[in-house]
Amino acid sequence: MSEYRFEGLPLDPVRGGTSILVAGPAHGGTRELAYRMLVGGDEEGVIVLTTNTTAADIAAECETVGIEATPDRMGIVDCLDSDESGVPARVLTVSSAQDLTGIGMRYSKLYREFHEEGREAVRTGLFSISTVLSLTELQTVSRFVHTLVGRVSKVDGLGVFLVDPAMHDERELRTISQFCDGRIDVREGPELRSQGFLGSDSEWVTFDTLAE
Amino acid sequence: MRVLCVDPDTDAGRATGTAIRDAGIDATVCGTLREAREALDDTVAGVVTEYDLPDGTGLELVDAARDVVPDATCVLFTDAAFGDLDTAALGTTVVEYVDKGSPDAHDELVDLLTFSIDNRSQTAYPLPPNEEARLDAIERYVAKPDALDASLERLTTVAAALFDVEAATVGFIEARQERFVACHGTDVDSLDREDTVCTYAILDDGVMVISDTHDDPRFDTNDALDDADIRFYAGAPLRTDEGEAIGVFCLFDPEPRTFDAADRELLSTLADEVMANLELRRRLRAATGEGDE
Repeated sequence: MSEYRFEGLPLDPVRGGTSILVAGPAHGGTRELAYRMLVGGDEEGVIVLTTNTTAADIAAECETVGIEATPDRMGIVDCLDSDESGVPARVLTVSSAQDLTGIGMRYSKLYREFHEEGREAVRTGLFSISTVLSLTELQTVSRFVHTLVGRVSKVDGLGVFLVDPAMHDERELRTISQFCDGRIDVREGPELRSQGFLGSDSEWVTFDTLAE
Repeated sequence: MRVLCVDPDTDAGRATGTAIRDAGIDATVCGTLREAREALDDTVAGVVTEYDLPDGTGLELVDAARDVVPDATCVLFTDAAFGDLDTAALGTTVVEYVDKGSPDAHDELVDLLTFSIDNRSQTAYPLPPNEEARLDAIERYVAKPDALDASLERLTTVAAALFDVEAATVGFIEARQERFVACHGTDVDSLDREDTVCTYAILDDGVMVISDTHDDPRFDTNDALDDADIRFYAGAPLRTDEGEAIGVFCLFDPEPRTFDAADRELLSTLADEVMANLELRRRLRAATGEGDE
């Protein structure tokens, strides 16, 4: 079974099949942390499902943290239906973040392609659940997240799901986190606090938003 | 347990059905949306469907299946191009997808289907981390649920009077449904797990209180609660010595209300009483080698 390491971050490695909720303010290091969690070795694939940022911006932000946005190792499902020309990654578009069926299908297709091409380890980012929750009722989003977490588990992948707690009722947030294997909270500093198996033992610890 | 396999191409449908049966899962092959709708019942654990059906779409079928078997694993098994699929119209159905045109499509389908059914990875609610052990515990503690009615019924009557609420129940959270074995002030045999608040109560350590279901994002669109006229809920998990929450002792009322710490303590005591009763029966069965009578 594969293991996913988080180089330069105060997080322990996790076994393949793990999904993690990353909860924090939209600006303040949360997004950067989520991107950095997608950084892996050259042999790993990366798939980002984006609901509120264009594929071009996602590719650029990934490059910033050190993920090479090339078609052979990076795929993006873009729910903004933006202009994908010139984006160096493999991009599939969906007309709306409400089309959870379409998002899931495109994710499956991208994953399958990477798998066929020999990439056994794939890191998946969903950026962000907050957008999806703002458009669709909790029960449907729950089924979507559960299905995605199940897929990550089946293929021994890594799932990183971004959410902004300020946009949601705590009960909503707790429900979504209950589908994941772990949760990381982020606050200004920036600092992160993770649950046991991720290594910070519930203490707030600082982290860098940029890779060294 | 069976899987509905829907494809207008008879040969393709049969081939898929055979692949599923070869994996040890019963399969019912249909060619149209109408046939598939008629074949939907609570024995269906999975739906594998082409997108384009003669009288509708596979997503319409999934939408219908969610009403009958909400937790079923649904897979769109199609070789149609994404551009030919109108997923946006039913974007909330949420399905898995396997490309029927790929060389190893049947292997991939069966692999995904068995994993998703075994892990129940399309439920719209979280499962407790120890779900399998929890379901085993229900088997151990509740050999014959119907035989428990009389003794637990009295406790629900006491609870309704004690807390001045309209209804009190004891239910066990089985794999797909909550089965109510004792009810006072309401009469319900079972509810789909995604429709019952107790599904969430077994995820918490202590007593779960919903002062007003209309003010809770998990339940504010739950028609089953509105139909049952439930606005207030309090539930104490029935927990085994090993920590598995096998069911819930709960209270309902049509009016929103508060529930203080002393109330929570009392409700927990009633749940403990039910567990003591179940434990006694379990030991009796173990000693005599008999089921509940």
